[in-house]
Amino acid sequence: MSKNITLKEPYPPGDLAIWIIIYVEFITFALLFLGYAFSRRLDVELFNASQMAVNQTSGFINTFILITSSYFVVKAVQSIRNMTQESQKDSNIEASKWLLFAIMCGVAFLVIKITEFSHIFGMGINLSTNKYFMFYIMLTIFHFLHVLLGSGILFFIYKKTKIYGYLPNDSKGIETGASYWHMVDLLWIVLFPLVYIIR
Amino acid sequence: MKRILEVVWIILVILTVFAYLLGYLKYISTTLVAVLLITTFIKGQLVIDYFMDLKKVRLKYRLIPTIWLGVVISLIAVAYYLPVSM
Repeated sequence: MSKNITLKEPYPPGDLAIWIIIYVEFITFALLFLGYAFSRRLDVELFNASQMAVNQTSGFINTFILITSSYFVVKAVQSIRNMTQESQKDSNIEASKWLLFAIMCGVAFLVIKITEFSHIFGMGINLSTNKYFMFYIMLTIFHFLHVLLGSGILFFIYKKTKIYGYLPNDSKGIETGASYWHMVDLLWIVLFPLVYIIR
Repeated sequence: MKRILEVVWIILVILTVFAYLLGYLKYISTTLVAVLLITTFIKGQLVIDYFMDLKKVRLKYRLIPTIWLGVVISLIAVAYYLPVSM
């Protein structure tokens, strides 16, 4: 009788160091998320009234963009992972195509966010306006910086694929960048309903 | 399943549209906040399992982000539902 046993990988994809960074980011954002949630308890009406000023539609579009970009990044990683000696050039070309789509999503996210920030700051709102906007500005700008860094990382990986720099059994670099990007996506998945929707 | 990534992406989009419509149409009630938080957990877990690809990795590495997500969402629920003592 044969047993269908699937062996698990011993380590997560990419460099283990990126996972240490990801865990630290998890803790940092968890504190901000919970700071928001428990501060809201103390003044629900203020938070609900202030939330009316933020654009839920742009938050929704940005969620869609990040989810889609994460999908593109997974496809790029798969292209590199499935590479053979014969398909090295084609796999790099395929990965570069997916990465370009993901980078375009990252840029679109940043442009939408800048538009949102300019609208908010144009209304005279700043960190000291009230507690809702303090958390809103801190959380979204902090996350914005992560998207900016993630887009930069994806761009460097993209550059490497353009010179056919990835070889068979050499997916660690792209997996490292991809893991960071998925973390950015995961953080936004929690941030969006918390700050934009729940009232 | 061959098209698992595409299915995951579609589920993520549907749950995001659901969350958006709740907010946009002002349908948010205390009960629906619980539903929204559960769907947020499902979305996060899908990203952890299929995009981060931790489903294929030893359980401890998969559990770290899952526990993080579960604890954060549970505490958000506590903050939302726990009555404020006067």
